[in-house]
Order: sequence, then structure tokens, then C-alpha cells
Amino acid sequence: MTALADVSGYLPGKRVPIEEPAERLGLTEMQVRIFRRYHKLAEVAQDPDGDLLDLLRGALAGLDGLRGREERVRYVLHARAFPVVVPYPMNPARDLCGEYGLGHAASFTVSHHACASGLLAIDVAGRLLADDGDPDALALVLTGEKAFTPEARLVPETSFYGEGAAACLVRAGGSRDRLLAYAVDLRGEFDGEGAKLTAQFQEEYAECLAAAILAAVERAGLAMDEISLILPHSVNVIAWKRVCRELGFPVARVVLDNVAVSGHVFCADHFINYRTARTRGLLRPGDRYVMAAAGGSAGGVFAAMVFEH
Amino acid sequence: MRQPETAAPSADPVLRARLVEGIVELLPGVLGRAPADLSERTELIAALEMTSVAALELVLRLEERLGLEISVEGLERADLATVGTLADYVAANLLDEE
Repeated sequence: MTALADVSGYLPGKRVPIEEPAERLGLTEMQVRIFRRYHKLAEVAQDPDGDLLDLLRGALAGLDGLRGREERVRYVLHARAFPVVVPYPMNPARDLCGEYGLGHAASFTVSHHACASGLLAIDVAGRLLADDGDPDALALVLTGEKAFTPEARLVPETSFYGEGAAACLVRAGGSRDRLLAYAVDLRGEFDGEGAKLTAQFQEEYAECLAAAILAAVERAGLAMDEISLILPHSVNVIAWKRVCRELGFPVARVVLDNVAVSGHVFCADHFINYRTARTRGLLRPGDRYVMAAAGGSAGGVFAAMVFEH
Repeated sequence: MRQPETAAPSADPVLRARLVEGIVELLPGVLGRAPADLSERTELIAALEMTSVAALELVLRLEERLGLEISVEGLERADLATVGTLADYVAANLLDEE
């Protein structure tokens, strides 16, 4: 059964108030007030002097479980919210493999599940390892993107993207952070543009995400009252309050600490929030918890994974 | 245009009337157009196609206009049914009356 051998998160040191990207994007003062008052966003993480490779390096620097086990890594997966994250022909994930003794590993990108692509990558890594034949084989999932285009800076009426990265070492078995179930709901009807479609997506967002979480929890043979914690994508606070209302789950048990201090870090949020939960002592051995994410653009994606710590 | 009855108001009638008046006066500025015959029974979503973000903007402008502080976190689509239901929401979610 797929398990997480180690998880690291990285946020660069610089924070800027959301007014800064808002001004560059031409948002009004009222739009910024709504982000602060309603969505509870305040600052975003930025690494103005670094590139994507620097962000990924930051994540790997904290992945202690990788040290001395590089030769066992068969696959390196870069999970991306956006299909294109650097100018062609740059390939920072491949460059990173060279730097960290992972040049022998097969490396590739996982995308098209928007900000839930990190969960998809865990699922893909687990399937590859299950078929690998070597029980000691490992896979490395990388997440992290630069907020370097207008589309990669703002989720309209929803959130600001922050810069950061995460790394996750996956193995085919193990007793700690075992993957119990995965559920994903792809909603192609949200592929398109226009105010009505956007309004419909926003209207159904919480219900769809709650349904994905519930599907994963039920698939794990559990009920929501057996879930200790939700490690969310840090899109905003109000969306998660609505999801919690749908689930009858206390919002105090959703790790939302980073919404106001980092913004929405693409596919990396739930891994970064895992580290926050560990630092705060929120996960005890045997706890069942959920990682969840959702995204839009080319359709809607709502995904959740249930783990046992 | 269908004009449904709004929920029976439970707030102070004077306050509620001020809220309805304020919303009606602010609506054209928020919507960027001036709909005719605005009243407490005007449907915000069905008739005026108001978005949730526009509703939030309206509530924040209402705060400034009336010197109120309003909790916006609980604002739901159902509260945007009519001018009257939005006034009811605001009346029930005042944090600090002037």
C-alpha cells in the first residue's frame, strides 16, 4: 500500500501584502478589501530573485528522508497546476535530478488536474511503485511553481498564488502515512469562460469538494468523525468554511494557518500544511487525515486522499 | 419581472428601512447600470444577475455609507434573493452598531 516516506515544504522568506500583486494586476481597492475581509488573504510568499529551480531546491533541502537513498528513486514526478511553468526548453525538474544524484530516475510531469495534480502524482507514483517489483523502490513527487504570469498570480475572485514548493518521497509500503483511499471528480462541464459558468463553478465548489472528500473517506471505510484533520489547498478561508458546513466537520480541524501568510501555493499547499500540522503536533500515530485540493481552468477538479499517520 | 414576497422582517423596522434604502441607492454604482423600479422585493440574482462578489462590494459600501460594521463571512447565495433578504442578512450580522 502506497505510503509517504517523507514530506517537506518550502516557502521563501519574502512576504508581500496582496496589495502589491493586486496593483500589478489592475485590481481595484474594493477587490482587495474583499480578498482581505471575506477570503482572509493578506500576504503572499515570493522569491523575486530566484527561479523555479531555486524553489524546488528549497523543498529538496528539507527532505531528510532522501539522503543516502537517492539510488532507490526510480521516478521523479513534477506535479503542476499549469502545464507550462518555464520557457522552453528549460527543464528545472531534470536539472534538479542532476544536482541531487537522481539522474538515473525516469522524470516526467503530471498536470491537467489543476491544483489537485499533486494528489494525482501521489496516486501515479504509488501505481508505478506497486508494479516495479522492487519493494525498496522510491518515487519523488515535486510540486512548486513561479507566479510569473498574470494567470499564475491570481485566481479571479478567489485567491492569489504564492511561490513555494514541496517534495514528497513515496514508497510502495510502510506503516507511516499510509494512503488509504483516493477520490477525484473531474467536472468537464466547467471547461469554458463567461460570468455564468464562473458563478456556477463558485456556487457548486464547496459541495463538489465536500463530495470528493466524503467519497475518499467512505472508500477508506471511514466516517468523517474518524478524521482527525484536513490538510487543504490554501485557496482561501471562506471556501473551506463552506466545505466544512457541507461535511459537518469543524473548521478548526482544517489547517488554514498558511492562507494569510503564503497565499495559494499551486499544488504544494497540502504538503506544506502537512509540515505545519507536524510542527504544531496535530498528527499522532494512528490518526486518519485528509489531503484535499480543487482547481479550475480547463474544467473543475475536486480531489481528496485519506492517509493514516 | 416577477417580484416575490420577501421573508418577514424581524429586524428593527427603522434600521431595516435604512438598509433597504441604502442598498437601493448603492445598487446602480455596484452594477454599473441603473435598473428601474428598485424596491425591497427586487430579485438580485434572478432579475439583476448580481454576482456574489458584487454583493460583497455592495455590503462593504453599505458599511461605509451607514457607518456600520458587518460580518460578511456568512453571506450566502440565499441571502441575495432580493434586496429585502440582503437587508435582513445585514441586520442580523451587524458587529457594531453606530
